[in-house]
Amino acid sequence: MGLSELLGTYGQNYLDGLLTTWGMTAVSFVFVMALAVLVTVMRVSPLAPLRAAGDLYVQVFRNIPGVALLIIIAYALPSLRVVLEWRTCVIVTTILLGSAFGSENFMSGINTISVGQIEAARSLGLTFGQILRRVVIPQALRTTVLPMTNLLIAVMLTTALGSQVPLDPQELTGVVSYVNTRSTGGILAFLISALGYALTAFVISFVGNRVDRRVRILR
Amino acid sequence: MSARAVSAPSVRDALFEAPGPRMRRKIVVGTAVSALLVALGLAVVVRQFYVTGQLDARYWSFFLEWTTWRFLAQGFVGTLEVALTAGAIALVLGLVLMLGRTSGVRPLSAVCRVVTDFFRGVPSLLLIYFFFLVVPQYGVKMPAFWMLTLPVALAAAGVLAEVFRAGVNAVPKGQVEAALSLGLSPARTMFKIVLPQAVRYVIPSLIAQLVVVVKDTTVAYVVSYPDLMQNARVLITSYDALVSMYLVIALIYILINYAINKASVYVAQRTGVKIIR
Repeated sequence: MGLSELLGTYGQNYLDGLLTTWGMTAVSFVFVMALAVLVTVMRVSPLAPLRAAGDLYVQVFRNIPGVALLIIIAYALPSLRVVLEWRTCVIVTTILLGSAFGSENFMSGINTISVGQIEAARSLGLTFGQILRRVVIPQALRTTVLPMTNLLIAVMLTTALGSQVPLDPQELTGVVSYVNTRSTGGILAFLISALGYALTAFVISFVGNRVDRRVRILR
Repeated sequence: MSARAVSAPSVRDALFEAPGPRMRRKIVVGTAVSALLVALGLAVVVRQFYVTGQLDARYWSFFLEWTTWRFLAQGFVGTLEVALTAGAIALVLGLVLMLGRTSGVRPLSAVCRVVTDFFRGVPSLLLIYFFFLVVPQYGVKMPAFWMLTLPVALAAAGVLAEVFRAGVNAVPKGQVEAALSLGLSPARTMFKIVLPQAVRYVIPSLIAQLVVVVKDTTVAYVVSYPDLMQNARVLITSYDALVSMYLVIALIYILINYAINKASVYVAQRTGVKIIR
């Protein structure tokens, strides 16, 4: 199958696939960030049960394989009378996995700040909220730009799990399996999707590097 | 995390000053309330299991038979074979890609860069579909083992190439300059001076990357390769116990990967290097 024939027959599928992948990535990443902040706040709070719950959350979701989590959410939860739409299953899976890594990024961002700065801020009379807002968060955000761009790419790659459940429209990976089970698309059918991912990842890391160079703290 | 807290106060603990009597009371109340909330959340989950009958003995009793565990152990061996083979291939390929990229030969370095970025920017599932659906169209017949191992290895090779490169960059520049001015060729400088040190820097990161490899192998059912996950699916159909089986399998994977991560942190602390991600 040539490129023109392939695009003529399945062009719309690929376009829908790319847009679906982008859409799921964007939606997931917003929630990943929100949940990562919440979990990180729990992990640095002085309340031991919240700390423990936050730590457990991160250990569970950074170590569970994506497919296993997706299968639990998509096929095991209905047995517990929790039924989600296929697309929601994929997005929830991506959010749970991503937020664990996001929280790890925030934690290592916080850990780059020296303890002396916080002690200095406190002896200047800053309150706890002021220390967080004026000292910790601005620095932690700046050092996590690059890890977070990598996380955004990882979130995009995780949405490929969508090929394991019946989505409509399908995302990029699902399209490849759809095309190749109907006709012999050959290497081209694979390359179109692969380039969709690789070029998006390239743009994301290009922008991320630019932003990082602007806001990075030179130590 | 805890080990570091002993040696030096982490930011996590330094954020709060030593609490006074009023604050201590507030913390006690807060701890009680949050403990109650966590317990309540757990209770809701357990109740849902109970209400839907998922706690019935028939869903859990087969875990007491040792044939179940023997079958799962066979799957685990399958997982291990794929993960270790893929890891070994990725190690070699990642090193080659990194050497090509830092070789200083323009075309070679460009090619290696594109290849590395490609495998890093493409989901491993897509690579698996490539070997499962596309390669056979060209008349190449591959056993399921390789249809799974090769894509997992390629995806990991892209990541490892970058890990190795970070290790090479961590070797002080002065050493390279010293070696070159002593008359060593660039290749000898790389292999005799830089690489031996770079590899030591990245060993913990390499161990940590094994987690990604193990995770990637779980899609073995796509190519019907009998790994831990696939064997679990077989057990699910024979015992009709979906929820309990998947939860146990997920727990096993979590424990395996947790152990790998811990090993990586342990090695990093022993050798005093940072884990590069």
